[in-house]
Amino acid sequence: MLVPGGALMVLVIVVPLGTAVEIALLDLDQYTFRQWLSAPFIGLGNFATALDSGLLHAIWLSVAYAAVVTIATVPIGVTAAVATHNHFAGRGLVRSLFLVPYVLPAFVVGTIWRIILQPQGIANQLLGTGGTLWLNGPRSFWALVIVQTWASWPLIYLLTLAGLQGIDPDLHEAAALDGAGHWAKLRRIILPLLRGPVALAAVIAFLHTVNAFTLPFVLFGVPSPRDVEVLPVLTYVESFQNFRFGVSAAMAVASLILVLLPLIAYLRAVRLDRES
Amino acid sequence: MVRPAVANLLPRPVRAALIAVLLVFTAAPLLYVLMASLNSDLAVVAGSFWPSDWQPANYVRIWSTVDLGPGLLNSVLVAGAVAVLCVLVSLGSAYVLVRYAFRGRTLILQALLALQSIPGTLLVLPVFVLFASLANALSVQIIGTRWALGATYLTFALPFSTWVMVTYLRGLPAELDEAAFIDGAGPWQVLTRIVLPLSWPGMVVSGIFAFLLGWNDVLFASVMTSPDTRTAAVALQVFGSAQEGGAIPVYGQLMAAALVCAVPVVVLYLVFQRYLVSGLTAGGVK
Amino acid sequence: MNALRGWAVLLGAALLISMTACDSTDGDSASGAGKTLNVLVSANSIYPQQQKDWFTQVSSKFQQQTGAKVAFETFASPNDELTRIQTSVLAGQGPDVYSLGTTFTPTAYATKAFLELSADDWAKIGGRDKFLPATLGLSGPDAGHEVGVPFTSRPFVMAYNKEILAAAGIDKPADSWDGLLAEAKQLTKPGQYGLAVAYADGFDPWKFIWAMSVQAGNPLVAGGKAILTDPTTRMAYQTYLGWLATDKVVDPAAVGWKNAQAIAAFGAGKAAFLPMVSATSKVTLDKSTVAGKYAYALMPTIPPGATTVSANGKAASSILSGDNIVVAKYTKNKDLALELVKMLTSPEMQEIYYKTFGELPTNAQYAQTLQGDPALAAIVESSGKSVGTPFTGGWSQVQLALVNVVVQSIPNLSKGTVDDAALDKLLQTAQTTAQTALDKAK
Repeated sequence: MLVPGGALMVLVIVVPLGTAVEIALLDLDQYTFRQWLSAPFIGLGNFATALDSGLLHAIWLSVAYAAVVTIATVPIGVTAAVATHNHFAGRGLVRSLFLVPYVLPAFVVGTIWRIILQPQGIANQLLGTGGTLWLNGPRSFWALVIVQTWASWPLIYLLTLAGLQGIDPDLHEAAALDGAGHWAKLRRIILPLLRGPVALAAVIAFLHTVNAFTLPFVLFGVPSPRDVEVLPVLTYVESFQNFRFGVSAAMAVASLILVLLPLIAYLRAVRLDRES
Repeated sequence: MVRPAVANLLPRPVRAALIAVLLVFTAAPLLYVLMASLNSDLAVVAGSFWPSDWQPANYVRIWSTVDLGPGLLNSVLVAGAVAVLCVLVSLGSAYVLVRYAFRGRTLILQALLALQSIPGTLLVLPVFVLFASLANALSVQIIGTRWALGATYLTFALPFSTWVMVTYLRGLPAELDEAAFIDGAGPWQVLTRIVLPLSWPGMVVSGIFAFLLGWNDVLFASVMTSPDTRTAAVALQVFGSAQEGGAIPVYGQLMAAALVCAVPVVVLYLVFQRYLVSGLTAGGVK
Repeated sequence: MNALRGWAVLLGAALLISMTACDSTDGDSASGAGKTLNVLVSANSIYPQQQKDWFTQVSSKFQQQTGAKVAFETFASPNDELTRIQTSVLAGQGPDVYSLGTTFTPTAYATKAFLELSADDWAKIGGRDKFLPATLGLSGPDAGHEVGVPFTSRPFVMAYNKEILAAAGIDKPADSWDGLLAEAKQLTKPGQYGLAVAYADGFDPWKFIWAMSVQAGNPLVAGGKAILTDPTTRMAYQTYLGWLATDKVVDPAAVGWKNAQAIAAFGAGKAAFLPMVSATSKVTLDKSTVAGKYAYALMPTIPPGATTVSANGKAASSILSGDNIVVAKYTKNKDLALELVKMLTSPEMQEIYYKTFGELPTNAQYAQTLQGDPALAAIVESSGKSVGTPFTGGWSQVQLALVNVVVQSIPNLSKGTVDDAALDKLLQTAQTTAQTALDKAK
């Protein structure tokens, strides 16, 4: 039963990944990529160039941005799930509306928020901070965080909601019999049981945000302002605008390794063999 | 079975307040999108909220500016197939990974999660070259077909979907399976008759995620489709494109088209979210 | 539940089958009449229906002429096109003919994936002489190695609000940047600004810097060397950034503006001058409140700090902007492709294209007939005074470096200063980046 999925993944992910790693070791740019197999081999040269081109700064920004977004979206998602778990009139509609920010394509979200965040745009008008610059400068990082939070909290919400449905109703009965109030029941029974889905949601949200390209690209354009030069935009610019495919692949591979390290640590910490 | 009030997680007023706040937070920018879709392009760009120049005709124009109809059809076909297949495959894989202990199981689970961290931009050129080479070698058309695109999306959606099912299945008591085995059922029957019906919440989430991946992706769709197999996401890009030097993007139509493209997904979710109900395992163990 | 599961499997299978069934189609061009040429062009979202009609028209005309059909594919944005070109070149398959922006032609040339036109090829297209000389500027590094065939011309000009100027007694825009600044200051008052400039646009800024530098004698790239820390370039940036920061003739909100927002501001009557637009802005402006009240003029050709064009400078009114057609080397229908190019650049087809989309022709014969049209005067003049950007494979990196200086200066700009020390640092970074790119050029 594992074979079809596994075969697909090897073909479509692992093989291209191997190719990408190989490209990272080649001097591939607009002059050599037509005959890419015979491009000169330069070993770790691309990685050195990548470091000179702002790789570390970009990795730091991406990780920080993903961490803050994850920390912000988890409480919002869990709260929304808890609030819409029980039946009420119009629940279906509310649940569906909550999903919309996640459904809209990232470039539409970017476009609309770019207009909202203009110096004389509606955000500044409502906040009374006319003229404040959100799309460049130090505040741009927070603008990115806010917009990404707005667009991606529904994922946490979905996963938590599914998790809530799996809780044995007898536990609710037992809690009622024990005379537990709402808050105590939440704290002692429900939230601990949600640990699994929420942890997964957090990890996935983190990974997706680290790799999120379209939103920063549309919101800030290229070249990016220094404060939001996140890794996916940097690799995209290197690859599709500077045509330094080798350097871009090296950046992506380096970031992959760096993201995998804490990921593996997380996986070890979460005992995977709880069930057997 | 369980008195509804007992299953309440929050007191009514708290719940109502929270929902109200969340609705405002979510809906405010969406309202902006809606207003923009009814406005003229220049007014949208200038940042005005309330339409000064009502253009409901935007909703009509979008169908002729690009081939949105065929695009939506292609998207439904591809994303739909991806969602259904992904859910089924990930359910099967997750079941094996959760219920059967074998060597390398942990490694596979870790690998699945690690695969989630690979950025799409890294893979798009190699995947294209791979498919093009295969097409040459086998003398069959791959690039430009819907199924090649679907296979790519399926592969990207599987790791996350499998993990969702794994997380969810872990919460299902093994006693149910054991009871069935004792009754003489084979593994396939246990999977389809017992586990599947109870896995609806997990399947809904997996399915939505896989569907959205296929629905919204632009990067792979823009290189792997031909004009006939173009998805709605790629067609949507045209609305946002600017002619360098002075023709502004048709923002009104962009917003209208975005909302139109969001409708199928929301409707699908509306239909399936009724399966996100608790109590599916109720009475099962007894 | 069983039934539901059954339905799910059936649905999945049905979708799969329908997907494959729908794909058992063409690609088969040897069906009697002839072949199909695949052409990649930019999607036109302002004239979508007209574009579809044009596609049909071209295909049937070509079929009459040669028996072969033309299948058009469109891309949404330059980024999209880039991706398509890269995948096609890498895999050795894709469209036979591409329509490229002129500034991108040097990079395309560097990949060596496009057909270098021999004298024979030029003859098949109708000869080099049938084109306006200025438009050939970005076809190749020199006349002997050309890949691009000029197709349309989109020179940049400046739009100005006739009413605002008339009210202040100004006849027409100045022909020097200093003069323009003086006029802009005169026209700036509460609720109205002299200039509408899009500082946050990804494309506009470098064109200003390039123009001012070239006019002062600095081509930015010469002999494989980047010349970005020159006083002329510095002056260009200080002028450009100073408009908002110190001269205050631009709306402070312009630090967040893309091209579209600058046009909207001008269209709302809030600015007197709108530099760096092409004829495609006509469509937008004619729908705005300034419809009928604006006109086009050349952008200044005298560099800042001077009263005449410098001796070694060029009176460049615009970058050489438009589209070139290139033929892919991997095509199996080279002669057919050249036939198509010949047809598209013929006077008749150029006239049809101009009347449909409003983009200027490159065919010299037809361009003659447009000389007399007063509404087009400025644009046609600008087409003749356009100067090509440096033809080097590293140009897109140089371009990016130029824009980057502006992007990183914006935070200071919004505070109302042009920090000269910061500017020098940024110029130095740009110089290094650009030089690295040029060093790799082959």
